Amino acid sequence: MKRIFTKFSVLTFLCLLFINAAFAQNITVKGVVTDGQDKSTIPSVSVMVKGTTTGAQTDVAGRYTISAPANATLVFTYVGYITKEVPVNNQSTINVVLNSSSQDLEQVVVVGYGTQRKIDVTGAVATVKGEDISKQASTNPVSALQGKVAGVSISNNGAPGSAPQITIRGTGTVYGNTSVLYVVDGVWFDDINFLNPADIESISILKDASSLSIYGIRAANGVVLVTTSKGKKGDPVINYNGSIGFQSVTNAVKMANGTEFATMINELSTSAGNAPLFKDPSIYGKGTDWYGQVLRNAMVTNHQLSINGGTEKSSYNFSLGYLNQDGIVKNNNYKRYTARLSNDFQLYKFLKIGYNVAGTASKSNDINNSIFHQIYAAGPIVPVYYADGTYGDPNDFGLGGGNNFNPQVTLDFYNNVTKNYRLTGNVYAELNILKNLTFKTSAGGDFGQLEARGYSPVYKATQGQQNDISLLNIDRTEDRNWIIENTLTYKNTFGDHNLTVLAGQTAQRYKQNYINGTARNVPFSSEGDLYLALGDAGTRTVTNTGSLRTATSYFGRVNYSFKDRYLLNASFRADAASQFYGGGELWGYFPSIGAGWVISNEPFMKDQTVFSNLKLRGSWGKIGNAGVPSNPTTLTVSQPGGYVIVFNGVAYTGKSIDTAVPTFLNWERGVGTDIGLEAGFLNNRLNIEADYYIKKTQNAIFGIPVRQDIGLKDSKLIGNQADFENKGFELLATWKDKTDGGLTYSISGNFGYNKNKVTSVVTGLNPIYGGGDGLTNGALATRTVLGGSIGEFYGYKVAGVFQNTAEIAKSAQPNAIPGDFKYVDQNGDGVIDGKDRVSLGSPNPKFSYGLNTNFAYKNFDLTIDIQGVAGVDVYNANLGLRYGNENFTKDFYDHRWHGEGTSNTYPSTNIGSGANSAPNSFFVESGAYIRVRNLQLGYTLPKALMGKWKMQRIRVFANAQNPINLFGYKGFSPEIGKPTVGTYSPLSRGIDANVYPLYATYNLGVNVTF
Amino acid sequence: MKIYKNINLKSISTVVLTGALLCTTSCKKSFLNVPPQAQQPSVTFWKTQDDATAAVNAIYGNLRSWANTAFPAIAIESMGGDDAEKGSSANDSSYMNSYDGFTVTSTEGQLQGFWQGQYQNINLCNQVLDNVPNISMDQNLKTRYLAEAKFVRAYSYFRLVRAFGDVPLRLTVPKDASAFNIPRTPKAQVWAAIEKDLADAEAVLPQTYPASDVGRATKGSALALHAKVAMYQKKWDQVLSLTNSVMTLGYSLVSDFEALFRLNNENSKESVFEIQCDYRPDIKDASNSQYAQVQGVRAQQGYWGFNVPTQALVNAFEAGDPRKDATILFVGTTTIQGDAITSVAGDPTMYNHKAYVPFNTPYDNNNPRGSQQNVRVLRYADVLLMNAEAANELGNSAQAISSLEVVRARARQGNAAILPKVTSTDQGVLRTAIYHERQVELAMEYDRYFDVIRQGRGTAVFGPKGWKAGKNEVWPIPQSEIDLSVGVLTQNPGY
Repeated sequence: MKRIFTKFSVLTFLCLLFINAAFAQNITVKGVVTDGQDKSTIPSVSVMVKGTTTGAQTDVAGRYTISAPANATLVFTYVGYITKEVPVNNQSTINVVLNSSSQDLEQVVVVGYGTQRKIDVTGAVATVKGEDISKQASTNPVSALQGKVAGVSISNNGAPGSAPQITIRGTGTVYGNTSVLYVVDGVWFDDINFLNPADIESISILKDASSLSIYGIRAANGVVLVTTSKGKKGDPVINYNGSIGFQSVTNAVKMANGTEFATMINELSTSAGNAPLFKDPSIYGKGTDWYGQVLRNAMVTNHQLSINGGTEKSSYNFSLGYLNQDGIVKNNNYKRYTARLSNDFQLYKFLKIGYNVAGTASKSNDINNSIFHQIYAAGPIVPVYYADGTYGDPNDFGLGGGNNFNPQVTLDFYNNVTKNYRLTGNVYAELNILKNLTFKTSAGGDFGQLEARGYSPVYKATQGQQNDISLLNIDRTEDRNWIIENTLTYKNTFGDHNLTVLAGQTAQRYKQNYINGTARNVPFSSEGDLYLALGDAGTRTVTNTGSLRTATSYFGRVNYSFKDRYLLNASFRADAASQFYGGGELWGYFPSIGAGWVISNEPFMKDQTVFSNLKLRGSWGKIGNAGVPSNPTTLTVSQPGGYVIVFNGVAYTGKSIDTAVPTFLNWERGVGTDIGLEAGFLNNRLNIEADYYIKKTQNAIFGIPVRQDIGLKDSKLIGNQADFENKGFELLATWKDKTDGGLTYSISGNFGYNKNKVTSVVTGLNPIYGGGDGLTNGALATRTVLGGSIGEFYGYKVAGVFQNTAEIAKSAQPNAIPGDFKYVDQNGDGVIDGKDRVSLGSPNPKFSYGLNTNFAYKNFDLTIDIQGVAGVDVYNANLGLRYGNENFTKDFYDHRWHGEGTSNTYPSTNIGSGANSAPNSFFVESGAYIRVRNLQLGYTLPKALMGKWKMQRIRVFANAQNPINLFGYKGFSPEIGKPTVGTYSPLSRGIDANVYPLYATYNLGVNVTF
Repeated sequence: MKIYKNINLKSISTVVLTGALLCTTSCKKSFLNVPPQAQQPSVTFWKTQDDATAAVNAIYGNLRSWANTAFPAIAIESMGGDDAEKGSSANDSSYMNSYDGFTVTSTEGQLQGFWQGQYQNINLCNQVLDNVPNISMDQNLKTRYLAEAKFVRAYSYFRLVRAFGDVPLRLTVPKDASAFNIPRTPKAQVWAAIEKDLADAEAVLPQTYPASDVGRATKGSALALHAKVAMYQKKWDQVLSLTNSVMTLGYSLVSDFEALFRLNNENSKESVFEIQCDYRPDIKDASNSQYAQVQGVRAQQGYWGFNVPTQALVNAFEAGDPRKDATILFVGTTTIQGDAITSVAGDPTMYNHKAYVPFNTPYDNNNPRGSQQNVRVLRYADVLLMNAEAANELGNSAQAISSLEVVRARARQGNAAILPKVTSTDQGVLRTAIYHERQVELAMEYDRYFDVIRQGRGTAVFGPKGWKAGKNEVWPIPQSEIDLSVGVLTQNPGY
């Protein structure tokens, strides 16, 4: 007690001292701030008189002028540089050299509910600077992270406005919400599509359990912390970034042409004992190239304008963004408008308040997602239009089933517009109760409205594509979410001891309301007609559903370091979530601990010159996952339209119970251990960071398929079903240097290895099957079994192809016909049945890597980013997903079995039926790829010109994204993101059924600072 | 400094108080006690008569489902027969051919579709049978509701046992996951359970309903199904007495065989049980019967043209039998309703006339076309033929001839030149005649395939297309179910 009192007195004394200092004589100090490495001047550096709110900012030439007491100390701060303090000592000129903090442990990283010096971090936290994201001219902030961070795997879906699938250190959970948690300025999101990448100041990716633990409830899938740009003190700085580019399909799959298609359909018909459909396949020639007909080179335009600045008392940042992206499918377009405003006010020396508000409006002219299947399947013998201008009709060619569409019709008569309006933001107050004690309270909100409007007009195009009564469909999804946080932070230094203590409380609420209405016979002469009120009275339907979740939490953390050598971090979080109210353990508790040893700061290391930095760290933590749907243990009543019964013309509601729920559901918990080594060599020119981790998921919640004779509607039961483990290794090595010739460069390589393994399942030794659905003709194509990886592909192993009936007669497949797959009789019982299925590969990538390079020479800069994955498999469902006369790929045509001796690997055209379409090894291919993710060349105009033009900086650049992709996979892209149709589940991951085709983007752009 | 102090204190108190306030509100248990949204919790269900009514409605509504009336039913109950084949275009859904040619393997999707569909019916029935007894409501109505549920449960188990042999017998809703994984019950026990349900139902169900309830299971429905169940077990005494009972209930045949299958003859005097289907564009999924859609004329938009008649069926009709044209819709003809039946290359040349819905019947693109068509499950003609067969098997040829003649007389429609009365009293000759009559009278009504197997003629009739005795009497149990049961469920021999 006495000690604290003394401390307190010292504090008050210091406080008085600073106030007294303000009365000392002021002098004017000028100077220039330069970069310690390349000697260039640094603009926008904050220059503050220590202990006051007096400040200035360097101009474009790095010059500053400030009025300060002759005995004051000036503090120079700039993001990415080590803060420097210089006593004025009556000097009127003080030139300062700042050193880049990336070469030093003084670098500050954003962690959960605060910041930490990099040196103090004992977990695995990766940071990416905003400029690395905005530089890529990427339309989505998350996809820009691809290949940047070891252990983070990102699969893009590719569709404009869609969110990529991101996995941090392997699949951590399989049920419900499997997305990582994005925390944007303290507000929680499941996806950050609405963010303008240019507004991002920095991104921190929390990878290990000890760093994640403070986000207990939602930490299981990893956490990405996004900090948006704030205003900096000084005159207004106006930035404009603009780019224009086009997107072009790469690695297109070549389909069979007209003659080849007709040949194969004839083979298909004769194999089933039918007459060939086409007398003379050769007359069809090349036929229609449906990919060429439907896909295009698409434009993308991006404009971003920001203004920021401030005074001693307040700062502001205002930005506007505009994105206009055409999809590579004709008619597809996505426009996004973003606006963000943040203000911070230092009301008193001890009280700071501020807010941050962002609005996003987007509009998408959607495409019918079945178009990807259609252009794959459509018969090339069908013309787009006949000579008379009417649509080519597959029925005129006897194709029909499975192929009963002209994709052009699908494009022309699909009219669906999705608009997304979102207002997010937060307000905060930060109060310095004592010098070392800060109280912060903040309230954040997220208000979203998603509007989708679909209109199906009256038309008659082909036999299978016509509509006699128009249909208007209107969807509204409203999100009303809020989060409140209160934290108390105590930070102090006692001699060689550094201590930071954090205590906090938070409450959150997530409410969603969905309403859908439809009406028929709505006229359409203009958009003004598209209201349900104009539809026929007896045809209107309405649906309304929603969800509500709440959570309340307490958390605390202690960071302690001694002499910057020995580090100890510990945290604890307690969460209560409404999902577990009455039917589970309401509270979940999540502790963590981490320790570090900065060896290079030891006295015995003083004289060595090898290491400029050496640190060993280890951590352990528990994380949780409440990402299950609301009320999972509450049995509810179903009343679908299918239960409505009409007796004598009157419709009666039908209700019953057709689901089953677990009586008890526990928190899904993760336990993770991480051991890391950070080393800097050669005066920090070479930096290496290596991590080894084990992440275990306990009580994993699954909706596992249950027997259908229980009679449930979806035959699934959720529960705590399994434990699994992700074990891995990550390495990051960065080399930065500057040659005598003036070339500045950095080369950074990262590598991640992850092994996913199921360590226990409720069903004992028996697998959990998944991946059925229509994609694999209803068969279960994946299993999750003890000792295997989550959702590994599962099916028959193909031994070859039956060449003739004699071979079939001797085989275990008496019903086969020549050209069918010959499966391996694993158990040798002479029968091919379910017992002969084996593991066929894993959709969970084992290796992921990236190589990121930057070169700057004089006014030129060059960036080359390469990225890839290996040790992963893809299930090519397109091959076997056939209902009839769908087209085949050229590759299939070239290699197919079509008579004895023609192939022992590819089957006949009968691939889609019977035993051939059952999940088997033919459909499983390697998903490894290597890609040039980003290639950018920039040129900054000479400074002399800038002075003349009264501008600070103009840089022009040319950029290419995904220009080169190398892979052996026979589909469009081995990068299987979220499916375009249906929902994503880790149990059916990596199944390729018409992913968005891979495309490259080429941009020309300009960065201007006024 | 003074200001600092004042504001400091004030701010602290305000902010901390606000924080504390937020904390207390958020920490209240009520904040976390979130009721299900847009879903009725089951604890509030099974309380009132309305709940019982809604739960019984659900049973009838679900009978329209895809699994009950469309592909799975066609695959399991029709494709194996010699009267029907896949149809559509040659390569469309060619897996259907594996049922026609008996090459089907246990992973084929229609197996699990059919299996699941029937058990979904059974769950809805078991929900009613488990819970409605505890509801305080009109006692007569309650008893009737329970009987209706037993009828549909019996109907579903009948379809299952016919298709798969031994099947898991679930007569209550599983209380928890421990009751999920049960083995197959020997089919004798399943038959017994079906008969018990039907006996219970026929004792309670009324023979007629007021117009507002027409379409529900009647006493006649239960008796007729019971007769059919007995027939599959060759319990001829029972078949005879049950069908005799039905014949006293006032049913008669609709004079015009073609008209019998049109919309205006739904729930006719010949109807013993029908699945009620309708077209209601104002209610999502209430018009979800795809029975007519999947079998309709392909050249018409929205119709798929599966499950089409075979040449064998064409040949089976006696010369001049008007039922041929009323059963088979030939391309190139025009229907009585004025629809020209056309085709494009690759289309079938014949369609199931019994599933035909005149083209001018209202429809739209977002509902299956022809969703109005009721599915005729049991007809009085079927009852008469069962009666004839049972009587003949028991040596009562007079009654056999008389019941058979009622059916033939209707078909004849007064034209004495066709379909002569069967007069032979020879049991064998009569048996053949009755089998033949069933074939042509009930063609394309999902009856023929199992009928022939029941008659012990599988090899004789279906052998040429691959049917093998000792294996093809039943279909394979879906592989996914065996997988999930971890070996508790066993496969049928030969699969």
